[in-house]
Amino acid sequence: MSARLHLNVNILNAGVFGGSWRLPGTDPLASYGVEHYTAIAEKAEAAALDAVFLADGPVLDPSIRHRPGNSLEPTTVLARVAARTERIGLIGTLSSSYNDPTEIARRLGDLDYVSGGRFGWNVVTTAGPHAARNFGRVDEPDHALRYRRASAFVEQVVSQWAGREHLRSPQGRPVVVQAGGSTDGKRLAARVAEVVFSAEQDIDKARAFRREIRDTAASFGRDPGEVVVLPGLSTVLGSTEAEARQRRELLDELLPDAYARQRLSGQLGFSVDELPDDEPIPAHLLAHPDQAGGSQTFYRVVRDIIDRENPTVRQLLKRLSGGGGHRIVVGTPEQVADDVERWFLAGAADGFNVMPDVLPSGFDDFVDHLVPELRRRGLFRTEYEGTTLRSHLGLGLPDARSTVGESLVSAR
Amino acid sequence: MSAQAVIVEFAVGEQPAQVSLAEAEAIATAAETWGIAAIRLLDRAGDLPALDPSVVAAHLAGRHPGIGWLVDAPTTHNAPYNLARRIASINRATAAGAGVTLLAGLGDEVSDAVTDRDATDAAQRWFEYAEILTRLWDSFPAAALLGDQQRAVVVDDALIRPIDFTGRYYRVAGPLDGPVHERPVLVAAQSSGVGWAGVAAVADAVIVDIAELGPRTTQLLDTLSSRGGRDDVAVLARVTEAGAVGDDPDADGYVLAPAGGATEILRAIEALEVTPSVRNLRAALGLPVSGRVSA
Repeated sequence: MSARLHLNVNILNAGVFGGSWRLPGTDPLASYGVEHYTAIAEKAEAAALDAVFLADGPVLDPSIRHRPGNSLEPTTVLARVAARTERIGLIGTLSSSYNDPTEIARRLGDLDYVSGGRFGWNVVTTAGPHAARNFGRVDEPDHALRYRRASAFVEQVVSQWAGREHLRSPQGRPVVVQAGGSTDGKRLAARVAEVVFSAEQDIDKARAFRREIRDTAASFGRDPGEVVVLPGLSTVLGSTEAEARQRRELLDELLPDAYARQRLSGQLGFSVDELPDDEPIPAHLLAHPDQAGGSQTFYRVVRDIIDRENPTVRQLLKRLSGGGGHRIVVGTPEQVADDVERWFLAGAADGFNVMPDVLPSGFDDFVDHLVPELRRRGLFRTEYEGTTLRSHLGLGLPDARSTVGESLVSAR
Repeated sequence: MSAQAVIVEFAVGEQPAQVSLAEAEAIATAAETWGIAAIRLLDRAGDLPALDPSVVAAHLAGRHPGIGWLVDAPTTHNAPYNLARRIASINRATAAGAGVTLLAGLGDEVSDAVTDRDATDAAQRWFEYAEILTRLWDSFPAAALLGDQQRAVVVDDALIRPIDFTGRYYRVAGPLDGPVHERPVLVAAQSSGVGWAGVAAVADAVIVDIAELGPRTTQLLDTLSSRGGRDDVAVLARVTEAGAVGDDPDADGYVLAPAGGATEILRAIEALEVTPSVRNLRAALGLPVSGRVSA
């Protein structure tokens, strides 16, 4: 384990909660303007964070009526952020399901060059029928096929980067980031990912997850030290614990109910609209995680909460708060620092992909109050030591795997 | 059409026929000072690919807010939904300063897997592609954005419409993922092998070598307006010397493509008359504007 934490900020439009955009004092439409992203990135760089992180999918989220969605293409936003910053890493999500490998290898390699070696590619498979229909398909590709394609796709792209003679960036090639928590996703992560973005609620499970990824990576002939595991962490900060709890409760009140139900229904694969609010979700409706369609990672997270706590529908909606299932910590900077330190020292995380409750205010609090506390404890850097994302993450430049014999499958 | 806008063209990269990223910065600075309407970034120079023009445009626009950006993009390897998003994103980030020069070519790995493999007509593909871009850009009007915190309504989704495009080369449902305040400029280079009528029916502007204008200008303009049924197509005369700018009264603007490197490009810009800059690229080219974006 590295001696210092790694911290990314996930600029998830208005904030991770479904009600973030409605918090008083928040510009509800700020995330539709590019300055929202550049301003947060500038602040993140001033705090010496490892990277900014942008989620994405090539689709208009069907829940757009009740919650701002991603509306700016990540490579264009990050190319702009690169022009406004000098050191901070730039991680963007791009689909392996709906991009041409030749084009994306060039574009992402060029973004790495233009940014001076600061780019990381979060490779995802894209679920859902809405995105499929933007690319001539009727429905989402089968889960296993998505991951089979993703595996060959990443290796093809990395091999193209490794073969570049011109326009090579100071870090050699972009960092590969991967975020799947499913069985297929973990295998892909262990094979190709240099940063793994996970969704873990429980410290013991997170530690087991990290160990599994590192062991599997070693079995593929990789150095486990070259895999950085960053669980998602949603933060709600207050100057007192009561203030933080009030903020969390206010965000619950502001959560558009229709959105919360729509989101949970999407995660579970069936509608919760007809279920009684004050009863638990009937067990017979719940599929085995490996059989679930859509995002298995977030199905699994919700399923674990149901198995552990057996909440009523109403309690589950409140618990998730439209945030989808990343772990939420609520408290003073000292309390949250205690939590972060505990996870880090227990080997459950190499750092965190931080998802502030509300943007930009929640991130301002994070930088102004939590980062100094982490520094006092010697857990986080005070300044950058290098100029590339690989340098911030303590990653070298391993040999690229040969892609001979790998063929790319495409869903029809 | 209004004043004759000037667009400066080059490719960015490390090859001899390209300007470096640092040189591109210097050119952009001069271009802002001289009131150049836009920089056209080529996808390749000769046989050599340049730095991806969408990446370079988005990057330089972060430091040079005073000019527009025309991104060259071939249909080849680019699924239309992805390209539509990138151009729309740059357009929003630049307050309506972006456009795309769509180059006729082949398909992409994602679309080809699910469409007619026997369809090989580059002109027909270009036309379908151009129509998808414009329709996607119209599918999420900026007026749909409400941000009503009291009623918990982010957008009026009744105003956002899928395009449900079904063609021989592409099937794209849409809508676009974000709002478009002012449609990006869609440009055809030469006739893109598509024919002037096809270009006129969908493109906002066309780039034509000045040698092809002159006596044939009237004929070209007639074709653009009558056969395509549109008279709001800007004709951009492509010239290699600053001295040729202003030579053709029928041109709506010029694409200045000096032979040589950054030195020659800078010299050509500095030989022009300084004009007031117009940030809205449609307005700069004399095209109809929505008036929803302040330049």
